[in-house]
Amino acid sequence: MKQGKKKRALLVIFCFAVCFALILVTQTNITDGKYVYVSSSVLDYYETTIAGEQQELDNIQSLIRETEAKIEGMISEDMSEEDAHEAFQNSLISDVNFYGMASGEMAVRGPGITVTIDDSQREIYFWESPNDVIVHDQDLLLVLNELKLAGAEAISINGQRIVDETSISCSGYTVSINGRNYARPFVIRAVGDGARMSAALLGPGCYGTILRDYYGLIFEVSFDSDMIIPAYSENRTYDYLEPVDTVKEGESN
Amino acid sequence: MERKPKKSIGGAIVIGILAVVVGLCISVQISSNQSDTVGGLIPSVQVNDLETQLKNLRMEKEAAVQALLDTEARLAEIEADRISDDAFLQTLSSELEKYKMSAGVVDVKGPGIVITIDDPIPTEENPGDGYSTIMVHSDLMLSLVNKLKEAGAEAISINGNRIVANTEISLAGSNVNINGNPTAPPYIISAIGDPETMESAITIRYGIVELMRGTYALQVNIAKQEEITITRYSGIITFRYATPYAPVEAPVTEEDPSAEGEGGTGEGEE
Repeated sequence: MKQGKKKRALLVIFCFAVCFALILVTQTNITDGKYVYVSSSVLDYYETTIAGEQQELDNIQSLIRETEAKIEGMISEDMSEEDAHEAFQNSLISDVNFYGMASGEMAVRGPGITVTIDDSQREIYFWESPNDVIVHDQDLLLVLNELKLAGAEAISINGQRIVDETSISCSGYTVSINGRNYARPFVIRAVGDGARMSAALLGPGCYGTILRDYYGLIFEVSFDSDMIIPAYSENRTYDYLEPVDTVKEGESN
Repeated sequence: MERKPKKSIGGAIVIGILAVVVGLCISVQISSNQSDTVGGLIPSVQVNDLETQLKNLRMEKEAAVQALLDTEARLAEIEADRISDDAFLQTLSSELEKYKMSAGVVDVKGPGIVITIDDPIPTEENPGDGYSTIMVHSDLMLSLVNKLKEAGAEAISINGNRIVANTEISLAGSNVNINGNPTAPPYIISAIGDPETMESAITIRYGIVELMRGTYALQVNIAKQEEITITRYSGIITFRYATPYAPVEAPVTEEDPSAEGEGGTGEGEE
């Protein structure tokens, strides 16, 4: 009987010790014991912003490495003047081709998909309005967004190359793309990974599926092993924009 | 025979009390751990930590941008040296400048507007559902950017992410990814162009800003500015499928490249 009581007392003490330890553990997390009220959105903001900045930092660092490699290729190698000239010319040419494609100023060819979107052919239900069964600018925008997300490298709609300043807007019976008007049907061509892009459009619950099955729009995707996306046809003029003088900007920073 | 049940009852009581105490401890522990991720009352040290982490990252990024500018300037110097007396290279290089500008890989500045979008302030009638309105409806931003382009914006960025030809704005998990970078509200959209036109285009009656403010109760603030700077696209462009249709090629006459100056470049863009 006595033995039992002792044991019991020991057990109690032990448990209190454990509790104390647990509390201590939580306390040490807090160090200065001050609390602030922070909403979850602020924490989210911090988390995602930190992740985003980290990614940007990584990108910039890889750009630095790239540029340094270029410089090295230009000076360190002991080659004849002619060879150096040719190497430089070749690197310049490949840069022009690369940025020509990236800016949309150059026509591009490659494998990809063709998406055809047209107004619905069915009669509307009584709860619908005719607006529900025709193609809108927002539809095209969202389809483009999905294509870009799925890694499209160059896109055109009805022959208009999609570039950074491309806007798509409904204007009456037509849709204006790059400032030119087009009527239905809309033919989108995208160079890239065809399987990935078509899955992004026609997977379950994806935007293309919704347009096709719910609104009854005509939404067809076909694969092409080789197609040509034309260059941006508009003349770019910058009335407001000017490049930042890198050297000056560097000093002021 | 009589003692046995008595003893077990006593033991059960003690163990019961202990179980309650330990349970309490564990629940205290868990709840204090949980507040770390959900928000609420949080140790200030932790918040400060996040803040310094972000600050350090930003400083590091600034330094990296500086380093990039320096190396690019060095490269430009070497290039300028080589280009100096070669007509073909000169055309190539001016073409390249133009392309880089339109590809968005150059820092630019000019007049424009800065639009700040933040989630609605939770009120008693409308406490919100815990999700960020602007993130769930990120297609609003897609539409806003489209309207800005229509109003003649010449360069746009969202939270420092330059909008280029292949920029996507998509809800991915609990983030909105722009150029593949995770972002969170508040969203600061900078656009260079005619401030008056852009502002009136987006604030038109029943337009996009009214929709954001009215239907979604978002806080939208528009400020016209004399000069804003938009940084370059910092992502990595890769072409794995696309090739140029009519690529620029080296002039055929290998002996004297300068003589065949125009051959390669001019018609490069179809």
